[in-house]
Amino acid sequence: MKCKVCEKKAENEYCELHEKAHRNIVKKYDVWKKASDISWKQYLSELVNNPYTGVWAREVAEHLMKSEEK
Amino acid sequence: MHERGRRNYYPVFSFKWAPRYSAERRAKETRTWIEVFSKLASNANDFISACDYDLEGSLIGYCLLKYACDNKHGTAKRMKFSTLTKTELEKAYEKPLPNLDFALIEAGRTRHEVDWLYGVNLSRALTLAAKRWSGRYATLSTGRVQGPTLKFLVGREKEIRSYVPTPYWTIGAEVEIKGSAYEVEYEAKTFEKRVGADTVVEACRAKTGEIETIQVRKLRQKPPVPFDLGKLQTEAYSFFGYTPRRTSNIAQRLYLEALISYPRTSSQKLPPIINYAAILKALSKEASYKKLASELLRKGELKPVEGKKDDPAHPAIYPTGNLPEKELSQQEKRIWDLIVRRFMAVFGEPAIRQSMKVCIGVSGHRFYLRGRRILKEGWTRFYKPYIRAAEALLPTVREGEKVQMKRVVREDKFIKPPPRYNPSSLLQKMEEEGIGTKATRADIIETLYGRGYVAEERIAVTDLGFDIADILSKHCPTVTSVKFTRELEEKMERILTNSEERENVLVEAVNQLKPVLEELKQKEQNIGQVLSTAIKRARIQERIIGNCPSCKTGKLMILYSRKTRKRFIGCTNYFKDLCTTSFPLPQRGTVKPAQKNCRACEWPLLFVRLKGKRPWMLCFNPNCPLKEERRKRDEMQSLREES
Repeated sequence: MKCKVCEKKAENEYCELHEKAHRNIVKKYDVWKKASDISWKQYLSELVNNPYTGVWAREVAEHLMKSEEK
Repeated sequence: MHERGRRNYYPVFSFKWAPRYSAERRAKETRTWIEVFSKLASNANDFISACDYDLEGSLIGYCLLKYACDNKHGTAKRMKFSTLTKTELEKAYEKPLPNLDFALIEAGRTRHEVDWLYGVNLSRALTLAAKRWSGRYATLSTGRVQGPTLKFLVGREKEIRSYVPTPYWTIGAEVEIKGSAYEVEYEAKTFEKRVGADTVVEACRAKTGEIETIQVRKLRQKPPVPFDLGKLQTEAYSFFGYTPRRTSNIAQRLYLEALISYPRTSSQKLPPIINYAAILKALSKEASYKKLASELLRKGELKPVEGKKDDPAHPAIYPTGNLPEKELSQQEKRIWDLIVRRFMAVFGEPAIRQSMKVCIGVSGHRFYLRGRRILKEGWTRFYKPYIRAAEALLPTVREGEKVQMKRVVREDKFIKPPPRYNPSSLLQKMEEEGIGTKATRADIIETLYGRGYVAEERIAVTDLGFDIADILSKHCPTVTSVKFTRELEEKMERILTNSEERENVLVEAVNQLKPVLEELKQKEQNIGQVLSTAIKRARIQERIIGNCPSCKTGKLMILYSRKTRKRFIGCTNYFKDLCTTSFPLPQRGTVKPAQKNCRACEWPLLFVRLKGKRPWMLCFNPNCPLKEERRKRDEMQSLREES
């Protein structure tokens, strides 16, 4: 299986590094929701535009946004 | 060493000490030096080692006496000194130690041998794996300290790259007092929910507050401790932006000029034997230190503040009192000045600062106005301009006074990812973790840059660095283990006190290495493939200059024409038939992306280096306003010359 973001070898949807970023994104959504009552879509968009979001986390957020649009 | 020209195999566990010229093609000049030593030794009766008093110095002296002076290491004496001043050298020569410092030699020897075993075997394993897979040679290296250091960096890089920021909110506010605006802090530093911050803004905006309390505190700030090498490197990075290696090299030059004491020390102590008063008296001959040094001399008793760290071989870094006989370079001047001022500062009185906290109540909420001022400069007078804290003066206020809230706003913020290491903070981390020595840490950081494992000042790990770290942690976790490296360091330190033997440390190192190398050999093909791909990617990355200004989606890259083999800049979208942008390049010398943009047109710059010429920055934009300016200037100049 290949990582959906970087096409490197992956056991599931993402490679080891993007999987870690994905886990962080999912885990942090609760904090964002409690803090500012934000939807999942808005949250992903915020992450994509935030200068502090790490490169891998941004790539995963972009991928999630694109796959939800489809 | 082992035989020259046969470096394409591993493991290598057998070695012997031999002159460098017999092992390295580029070290021919060492033969002449050794022959000169042998010739001089044949007519000498007494032998005294006067090399630097440290691991490396002691080992060099020992090797010379043993190999170039016909085994005189047994009868030779040892000079012990910390500065290269005439007086100290004469004293050390008159009263040398009766024997060589064998514990130091043994520890130095073991360190060299262990580092050699690790460095040579692991680096060869990586280099050969890549070469056998791709057929192309690229130097890859790792070692006992390099591996764990890269591991710190990779760990931090992973955290940064997968970081998801957390939002929080703060209150930004200003009050007006006697016609001037002052920034105030809200009592709660942060809010986890936006609504919490909004409530405060709503309640306090444009309201009048009242000063409830005024707290005044006096703080005594002790002088800083004397410089050990690590502290000097940190301070030089913070004030001048010098990398640890650069600082270490500058300090070494100052030591050789007899301007400062031996710099590779871990000590933060200054023993009275160095004669503080004599040094200050000598320094007072320099105009810029005259006033300060004389002030200290008038104090009577001179007692330095000292740190906890100690070094049995050398005191902390201090100026010898000698003044430069020749003009120092700008860098040398700066480091010398920093050392001199630090030396004076450690004898200063504590600085006394006053801090003031004014509590302002507004509609049931509290804001704090903070001020600070210096009551007594103390040691800071001696250490200027290397002082960070600035004063924040407040107006005279009294409890019960009314103040107007001028601005109350919600500020949207995010918790930032952990910072990237820079050469200085990485050096500190290595020191804290107890890996490497004060003499080797800075070089290891430079090697990581040199090999292309890391890049930029705020250290970012490259793809090649990631792959190397990944291979090492998968196939040889002990090599990157900080714990293992630290334990080995401790064992080598124990040799200094005769509580550990060189043979035991070497046997343990070999026993640890054997299975690691076997595994690397077994998986050589896989490792070679991963490394070759990473090297190829790194080489392509090195040639990327920046975004294409024409199509905006492609990248500009240094390319080579298949027909003429000439180099030029082209867009990566050319291969997709989307963009034909190209620019000519100089054909001689080396051209590299400068990682900077032109100040006039913002296009990426190139760094051009030609043999025998000063390197320069090139903007390849044919319409760059700077070029136009230069052309006009040249025209004016020629017109003026003609007229």
